Amino acid sequence: MTPIDLLSSALLIAGGVFFLAGTLGLLRFPDVYTRLHALTKADNVGLGLVVAGLAVQVQNWFTVGKLLLIWVLVMLASASISHLIARRALLRGIKPWKR
Amino acid sequence: MRQRSGSWGYGMSRLSSKGWFNNLMNIHFRRVWFRAVAFTFMWWMLTEGSVNSWLVGTPVVLIATLISMVLVPPFSCSVVGSVRFVPFFIWHSLRGGADVAWRAFHPKMPIAPDLVDFPLRLPPGMSRVFMVNTVSLLPGTLSVELGANSLKVHVLDTRKNVLSELMTLETIVARMFDISLQDAKGDE
Repeated sequence: MTPIDLLSSALLIAGGVFFLAGTLGLLRFPDVYTRLHALTKADNVGLGLVVAGLAVQVQNWFTVGKLLLIWVLVMLASASISHLIARRALLRGIKPWKR
Repeated sequence: MRQRSGSWGYGMSRLSSKGWFNNLMNIHFRRVWFRAVAFTFMWWMLTEGSVNSWLVGTPVVLIATLISMVLVPPFSCSVVGSVRFVPFFIWHSLRGGADVAWRAFHPKMPIAPDLVDFPLRLPPGMSRVFMVNTVSLLPGTLSVELGANSLKVHVLDTRKNVLSELMTLETIVARMFDISLQDAKGDE
């Protein structure tokens, strides 16, 4: 295993852990707002790490650019959609869960 | 309306009184060029530099530039500010992911959520939209609703001081969009 492979697998596994955390948060957190927190933030970092893990392996700069573009577009979509879901939930009168 | 006249006044102050029309046209064309170059670069990247693809690529870039000028009106943006934003964003979104992951994995699930009103100092427009999207990716905050002069933020843990973090973010976004912050008015 070359150092590049090692780095790549470490990044990919770390990314997977963040995706797991996001899913766990989606299942465990009490209401729509807190679940959105888990999904947007953990999955953004998870995808970022997976993209980084793949980018260190590819031989070609075009592919690195495409991977980065995917990350930026997913981030943009998840941030705006989570805002829209949260806004709609508030307008429909869903009260945030409190301890 | 008061806000709008403020941002217009700001735009005017950048132009010299002499030849302001030429200046306006220059600034406008510079932005069109900037977008066209960005779309060209994107096409070049997606097609991996294939020469034949420009037969389709040239009209696509032209149409994309036109549509973007219609959908997203030109805004000013500072290169230095944007470059500074990237490490700030990467570091804080990593922190945000780690923070929410820790709370999801923790057996007791340490969260104390609530809604918080954050009085905005950014003027309406692109910079606010950008701020709304960034807030959701930073530690412990989720933007819920954009009011006239404030942003409703859902906070995952109210025991932390998120307001000062939001103000730091606002300052950095303002630098990125080349805006000077006014005093917060709030919605009340």
